[in-house]
Amino acid sequence: MHVDEFRTGLRAWLDEHDLRPVHDGSLDGHMAQLSRVRRALFDAGWMRWGWPEHAGGLGGPVILRAVLGEEVVARDLAEPGIYTLIEVLAPTLIRYASPELLGFVPKLLAGEETWCQGFSEPGTGSDLASLSTRAVRDGDAWVIDGQKVWTSLAQYARRCVLLTRTGGPGHRGISAFLVDMDSPGITVRPIETMHGRDEFAEVFFDGVRVPAARMLGAEGQGWEIAMSILPDERSSCFWQRIAYLYNRLDRLLAEAPAASPRQLGEAFLDLHAIRCRSRLTQHRRTRGDRLGAETSVDKVLLATAEQRLFDTARDLLPGAVEYGDSPWREEYLYSRAATIYGGTAEIQRNIIAKRLLSLGNE
Amino acid sequence: MIDAADLALLSEGLRSAMAEARSAAGLDAALAELGWRELLEESPDEAVALVFGLLGETGAHAPVLNDVLLHAMKRPLGGVVALREDGLAFGRPGEPSPADLDPALGLCRVAWEPLTDEALAAGRRALGLQIVGAGRTMLALAREHALARTQFGRPVAAFQAVRHRLAETLVALEGAQAALEHATDPMTAKLGKALAGRAGLTAMRHCQQVLAGIGFTAEHRFHLFARRVLVLDDLLGSASALTREIGESLEASRIVPRLVDL
Ligand SMILES: Cc1cc2nc3c(=O)[nH]c(=O)nc-3n(C[C@H](O)[C@H](O)[C@H](O)COP(=O)(O)OP(=O)(O)OC[C@H]3O[C@@H](n4cnc5c(N)ncnc54)[C@H](O)[C@@H]3O)c2cc1C
Repeated sequence: MHVDEFRTGLRAWLDEHDLRPVHDGSLDGHMAQLSRVRRALFDAGWMRWGWPEHAGGLGGPVILRAVLGEEVVARDLAEPGIYTLIEVLAPTLIRYASPELLGFVPKLLAGEETWCQGFSEPGTGSDLASLSTRAVRDGDAWVIDGQKVWTSLAQYARRCVLLTRTGGPGHRGISAFLVDMDSPGITVRPIETMHGRDEFAEVFFDGVRVPAARMLGAEGQGWEIAMSILPDERSSCFWQRIAYLYNRLDRLLAEAPAASPRQLGEAFLDLHAIRCRSRLTQHRRTRGDRLGAETSVDKVLLATAEQRLFDTARDLLPGAVEYGDSPWREEYLYSRAATIYGGTAEIQRNIIAKRLLSLGNE
Repeated sequence: MIDAADLALLSEGLRSAMAEARSAAGLDAALAELGWRELLEESPDEAVALVFGLLGETGAHAPVLNDVLLHAMKRPLGGVVALREDGLAFGRPGEPSPADLDPALGLCRVAWEPLTDEALAAGRRALGLQIVGAGRTMLALAREHALARTQFGRPVAAFQAVRHRLAETLVALEGAQAALEHATDPMTAKLGKALAGRAGLTAMRHCQQVLAGIGFTAEHRFHLFARRVLVLDDLLGSASALTREIGESLEASRIVPRLVDL
């Protein structure tokens, strides 16, 4: 399946099948819409292209997933942030899960299940390797104690890709699990967020027993698994986010009465730069190149573009963020997190300085 | 299309010609000798990417932008083309022009004729690539200095404020480079030039700060690249002017073009 063929077929299909959202804009509404869109796209096959056949996909180049993401977001069929979560979770499972666990992937793709990513902890943000949620072997199971935080969609999730400490300090003592969220001993407490859509939660683990077969990869391989997410996050996910931002610039142009050309030009230049950069990244990945530290450049370009766009919107639509009830407020506020999640802006610059510019240690 | 091995060989030849060049006229002749004009006729995109990237990196000058514009206007190579309505042009042979910020560019005045859209696009792409090349050299100079210069008992490259300035510079240059690789028509060339100008100025600001005192001397090569970037940014549309133009066209059409696709 080629990109153009896929895109043409998909567009024709989407023109015929009305998947436009009908909900109140609440997080529950968004989640239900997401499941509906996934289900329909999965049944029609679109959602399965670009995923390997042994995981329930139809094969074909990974780039097809980015094309799908772009079309879904361009039509505002699903909220981009929650849509792309599978782009980081499913690939991890496909790479590291036993054949038995692979059976869960189609449920995720088809919108039957939501999963979450349990990495960050109260004491562990940027310095992920310092995490302290503990897993201790007990017969044919592991017993998990500890706490995760900022876990997006944990309150909806059926399963969690969880990082725990099974060994000594540092990278090598970390192991990953696929944990069922209804296991006894797990408590989820949603956290109220700044932008008003309470998308993340605290997750407490109190003597949670997880079968040994639920370990992803081998004992001590957790760090490698966590890092393997980056190429997925920074190709298909980014492309989709870029598509979303173009869509919002369209909206801004439609709504802004007397605009400021200079500011609009700057916002568009930022979007164009990340779009070109991301396209090169996707094609490198399709050719089979290993993506690495250079994707920190993509990450900084994207976060900068996102924040500039919403800053511009706030300037050109005076009051839209501050007063009354406009969708710009929530999205403006959410854009503030672009330099925080997925590795903060400072951490990206540290990586660029050390790995790309070889500036040695701090 | 020329193959990768030939391209690498040519690139080495061009680089040493630029390193050895004593004058714009000398380098102009050396480039002609190396086959620049034939390459431009045969594979213009590669020719321009190669030669202008290297001109930027080495800081050398030859008035070959004239050829890029002439080629795009389907006119014989070797002449001089005005870049602005006041007739400003890269002179050929190109005597240094001491009154200007960057005398080595050998600016002169000739009769003005409007540039075609194709010529403007080709010229913007070439200048953008040269600016990014110059930015990369500023970054390399600042990086070397940061690793060599010790203060408070450490190389200044160990200070995060310094590291982040250099990281920011690389991000800007890579963004511009990516846009220039997608500069295939007048609109994408305009965006590429605007991003390159912006990146060049970002590189100049951060690298100057990291180089500090030594970078403010005439003895250090930094100022040559800074001067070059300021002039190249201004030619055929500065980042600031083009950004405004781009914004005006968005405002007029109320449509955000998706200029590159997967
Ligand atoms: C909307 C949202 C959704 C999220 N979803 C998830 C999720 O689903 N799963 C999950 O596991 N996590 C999630 N996170 C958490 C996110 O990964 C962390 O917030 C992030 O890694 C930063 O950690 P922290 O907030 O503890 O900040 P800290 O690491 O405490 O950093 C505080 C400040 O110090 C700076 N800093 C820290 N170290 C350095 C350094 N070495 N050099 C320079 N500056 C430094 C940081 O850049 C930051 O400015 C989410 C966060 C947000 C905002």
